[in-house]
Amino acid sequence: MPDVRIKTLPPPHGGKLVERVVRDPEMARKLMEKCSAVYDIKPTLFKGNPVRNVYREIMSVCYGFFSPVEGSMTKAELESVLEKRRLLSGWVFPYPILFDISEEDFKKLKVGAGDWLLLRLKGEPFAILEIEEVYEIVPGDVAVRTFGTPEKNPEVVKAPFDQKHTGYNIYCSLNPIILAGKYTIINEPKIRPPFDRFWYPPKRSREEFEKRGWTTVIAHQTRNVPHTGHEALMKNAAYIGDIEPSHGIVVNAIVGAKRIGDFPDEAIVEGHEMLHLAGYIKPERHLVTFTLWDMRYGNPIESLIHAVIRQNMGISFHMFGRDHAALGEYYDIYATQILWSKGIPSFGFDAPPYAVEGGFYIRPQNIAEFWYCPKCLEFAYSGNCNHKGIYSRYSGSFIRGLINEGVTPPPQIYRPEVYKVVVKWWQKFGYPFNNEKYLKEREERLEVDLPHMELPAHLKK
Amino acid sequence: MAKYFGVIIDEKRLAAIKGTPLEEKVEPIFGGALKRLVIEVSDELGQKVIEQFSKARFDARGFIEETPAAFKRLVFKKIVEKKSLGPEVIEAAVAEIHSIKEEIAKEDRELPVPDIDISDVLELQKNPVQKPA
Repeated sequence: MPDVRIKTLPPPHGGKLVERVVRDPEMARKLMEKCSAVYDIKPTLFKGNPVRNVYREIMSVCYGFFSPVEGSMTKAELESVLEKRRLLSGWVFPYPILFDISEEDFKKLKVGAGDWLLLRLKGEPFAILEIEEVYEIVPGDVAVRTFGTPEKNPEVVKAPFDQKHTGYNIYCSLNPIILAGKYTIINEPKIRPPFDRFWYPPKRSREEFEKRGWTTVIAHQTRNVPHTGHEALMKNAAYIGDIEPSHGIVVNAIVGAKRIGDFPDEAIVEGHEMLHLAGYIKPERHLVTFTLWDMRYGNPIESLIHAVIRQNMGISFHMFGRDHAALGEYYDIYATQILWSKGIPSFGFDAPPYAVEGGFYIRPQNIAEFWYCPKCLEFAYSGNCNHKGIYSRYSGSFIRGLINEGVTPPPQIYRPEVYKVVVKWWQKFGYPFNNEKYLKEREERLEVDLPHMELPAHLKK
Repeated sequence: MAKYFGVIIDEKRLAAIKGTPLEEKVEPIFGGALKRLVIEVSDELGQKVIEQFSKARFDARGFIEETPAAFKRLVFKKIVEKKSLGPEVIEAAVAEIHSIKEEIAKEDRELPVPDIDISDVLELQKNPVQKPA
């Protein structure tokens, strides 16, 4: 009998894992010599508050999370992504990846197609952008086309996007000039604690899975400190697999500027880690990781970037719950599951994203919800439990409201150790959630430190 | 479609409604680990509440969430005053928002940290399974 078990991790999206990180200082120096100007990366602001930092996109591109994307998109690539959610090569990709710059800065830099631009972060050389094309965008138009409209995407878009939507604000706040071209990191950043122990870019995560003997892995997307409902979701979803449940559960937190009121990223990654440190999930089966990305809260669209990231990491299955990566009521609460079960033609998917040309190997597991049922005496699956009227549904905003009122969430909602992680960061930041002060401070410290690197003489002028 | 506003009832709030018909309307959630009172409002009134606060929104259960704690305290005060769980409670609270403006602004900057011993989690974190890269 042939052995038909899944024996290998899925291939990277696009067939080849991108890694554009130069680790040889001499090579880095030579590349800097070719640059004609220096530009200090600035956060994207909306009403004075940071909502995005292009450095996170550069990191995710250069470490291969966004493979096969290698840099800031050309005009033709941008149009292809907005129209068809495909790169020019035909591979599915949901979001514009753009290096935007103000007209004023562009005039000062005096660069154009064919020039190389040295990008500086925290005052140190960080990456190079090989400029291939310069063009203009209308940010509001990019924003609308990125997320869709009720008229154009009636299958899932329920209301027009507006300024209450953080992701929409990101695109509306872009500068109008786009410098397109490949990125290369020439000064490898050092990831700061507590994020350093969770840094598993695709090459490393694949090595880790192989070391652990994992061939079936299921991803949990998160922007939250885990409540017991999340824990039930992860544990139950992991029963999917091959001839046995998935070997690994990988939590991949999205780390970046988030909306005011979300938890700080430090509490999110450590909250998930606490589930294995405190014994609720065996550490042999659980890996906490993160990706740098300023969440767009694009629900079905966001689920596509999640598939790109996680397949590149070597993950074979992805759980998608209710209201996946959503904010407000712009999309149908099951929009992501509609996409992953039958497709959304108006977004360019006549079939689910794993069944279309240029699509994914990663397979979805669409899950409804878990709730707490006092009759079942467990965190029951909504598809099973029929105790109407007595179960309690989880709601992240309800839990944040409890914390805001000074109520300690009971063990039915948070593991005590997980709540103490929230308290730990609350003590440090003086506030349990992202507020304006936290978002500004974190954009100054970022998640990385840059080693000192001398600029070439011609760029010091 | 109706929307809902929930008010968590702790010992102090329970004492404030003890012996009134409101006490009977307190419902247990999460197996009795928490108790709450629920006010049902129209979609329009729910929307009016949401518009008062930048973070507030309806969650997937139809509840109005992420309103400031100061507003929830005001709503509870109005429940006690009016001895009701009708929409007029919310209307009265919205009408008096100006009186809690400073409390709300302060709440966006700082919240008192709970006095909880976290030494056990700090100990667990001393030897993480996942080591720095």
